[in-house]
Amino acid sequence: MPHLPADLDRHVTELIASLCTVPAAQIAPTDRLREDLGLDSVSSMELLSLLAEELDLDIEVEEAMAVTTVEGTLEMARRHLAAATREAV
Amino acid sequence: MEAARASLGSAGAAADPGDDDGEVIAALTQGIDRFASARIDAARIDREGRIDRDLLAGLAELGLFGLSIDPAYGGAGLGLGAVCAAVAALSRHDRSVATTVGLHLGLGTRGLSAFGAAGLRERYLPGLAAGTTIAAFAATEPQAGSDLGAIATRAVSGAPGRLRVDGNKLYVTNGGLADVFTVVACAPGAGGARRGHSLLVLERGDRGLEVGAEERKLGLRGSSTTTLHLDGVDVGEERVIGEPGHGLDHLAHVLAWGRTAMAAGCVGAARSALGRAAEQVATRRQFGRALSSFEVVREQLADMAALAFAMEAMVEATAAVAGDHPALARASTLCKVFCSEAGWAIADLTVQLHGGSGFIEDTGVALLLRDARIPRIFEGANDVLRVHAGAAEVAGAGATGAGTGTAAGTATATATATATATATATATATATATATATATATATVTATATAMLAEAVGAAREIERRIAEYRDGLVAKHGVRLLSRQRTLHRLGSLAVWRAAALAATARAAADPRPESIAGCAHVVEMARRQAEALLGDPSDGGAIDVIARSLTGARA
Repeated sequence: MPHLPADLDRHVTELIASLCTVPAAQIAPTDRLREDLGLDSVSSMELLSLLAEELDLDIEVEEAMAVTTVEGTLEMARRHLAAATREAV
Repeated sequence: MEAARASLGSAGAAADPGDDDGEVIAALTQGIDRFASARIDAARIDREGRIDRDLLAGLAELGLFGLSIDPAYGGAGLGLGAVCAAVAALSRHDRSVATTVGLHLGLGTRGLSAFGAAGLRERYLPGLAAGTTIAAFAATEPQAGSDLGAIATRAVSGAPGRLRVDGNKLYVTNGGLADVFTVVACAPGAGGARRGHSLLVLERGDRGLEVGAEERKLGLRGSSTTTLHLDGVDVGEERVIGEPGHGLDHLAHVLAWGRTAMAAGCVGAARSALGRAAEQVATRRQFGRALSSFEVVREQLADMAALAFAMEAMVEATAAVAGDHPALARASTLCKVFCSEAGWAIADLTVQLHGGSGFIEDTGVALLLRDARIPRIFEGANDVLRVHAGAAEVAGAGATGAGTGTAAGTATATATATATATATATATATATATATATATATATVTATATAMLAEAVGAAREIERRIAEYRDGLVAKHGVRLLSRQRTLHRLGSLAVWRAAALAATARAAADPRPESIAGCAHVVEMARRQAEALLGDPSDGGAIDVIARSLTGARA
């Protein structure tokens, strides 16, 4: 059963902030993980991996590799949470 | 010397970086060896903690500082293979000298050569090629070692067309000698990236740039290592190397060159150590016999020789993909980890085989060990690089078809390059082994050696197959979660290192099927097989590790 945080956007933003030097308050959905937040490819993958761990989501590596922005990260999390919730119902 | 220089000059005019001529490299290394035998006194350099100006001038006269610089600027225009050959040749005699030259040719000038605008190249490369100016590279900071994303040095827009640079850099190799510094800085807004990075050229004479005192070190005592303080350094925007804001991309390529050159330095040091060890066991007698007659000593010597063979094979294979940036980045990581670890193991065994005398500085063996320690740390600490290599393995398994994003595209290219390189290496080894098998009638290779090579090729392919099976199973089971499991990634990275060593060794032995090459290949493939067996076993769940680490540090994983 996936774990659904009360405020997904905030949770994801804080997770991103923990991996880079940009404060959560300054992170925008349009930010690119690499160019705007300074996350290299390994850190970006680590972010999505931690997200999958924390929210108990099954995300394939190939799908995660296509994510390049904060908004993309949020969309992926929302999509998987919705699918997992439907399955649970 | 003149012959080597003449060879460099004639080859340099038309040489394409990466397309290194074997005869030129042979002349180069012979020239370096003659020069170094006459001019380099490693014990003195270590004792005095510096390389004197006369020696630097001699190296410059030999043309070494311009080896990889475009002939249009006075260099020889040779590629990474020649750089590696030169660094390895120097390292046989002295690692401090090899590091000084290697840093100049790799991290120090590669950014300018590969990405610098015409104006920058015209301004700096002639002096750097002639060796009248020496290059340094500054990336590491107090809070940014392996984590380069945490770089705090900032290059921000000041007056129109100007940049103001502030920050502090640590462990700047060549810092005390250099006139030209390639500096990595965070450049907010550059190139439209909120947190982009840029590579900059700074000069010793820039106002606000201050070089700190020389560090006292465990090894490489003759090479210069300083801090660099940047306090409101005001330079024109034309000092940016390559695209503003794309510094990390450029840095990845520069580091790949640097790591490969550094791995070549490990090769030279390892060959020097192996020579000392072989001499020692052949002449030292205990219990009425030469040490070389003892089975355990013979096995240790074989381990060292096989590791050295694989080191050379990996450096050659890595330099051969210099024109393919993603492939070079990945191959150089595996090459650096293997060569620095193997170099350390060889230096350690050399001390061991010398007994008590190995611990005495006057023998020179202790210096080999001290110098061998730092390559496992600088230009990417090996454990961090293993984790990165493990992540690349996972990303390679997840990539299919054309990438839909930057990360996917890079990973796909890397995976493709890896697959191609692997297939090529295996195919070459197999084809040559087969060809060799049919040529036994010519008696160039014994039947035993041929069978040994065929067996080694088969064993290397089996290692490759088992690692792929293990990795694919992990990816299928854990998906993207695998990428936050550091111990597993480290394990995968270690496996990738040994796989690369085994494949490179088989390819090299197939291309050069002398009995001693084949034996070195066979032995290192067996070492790789044993390592893979251990790494492919079930790891512990980490419970005991967590308890111990928490009791010592108070921190949870």
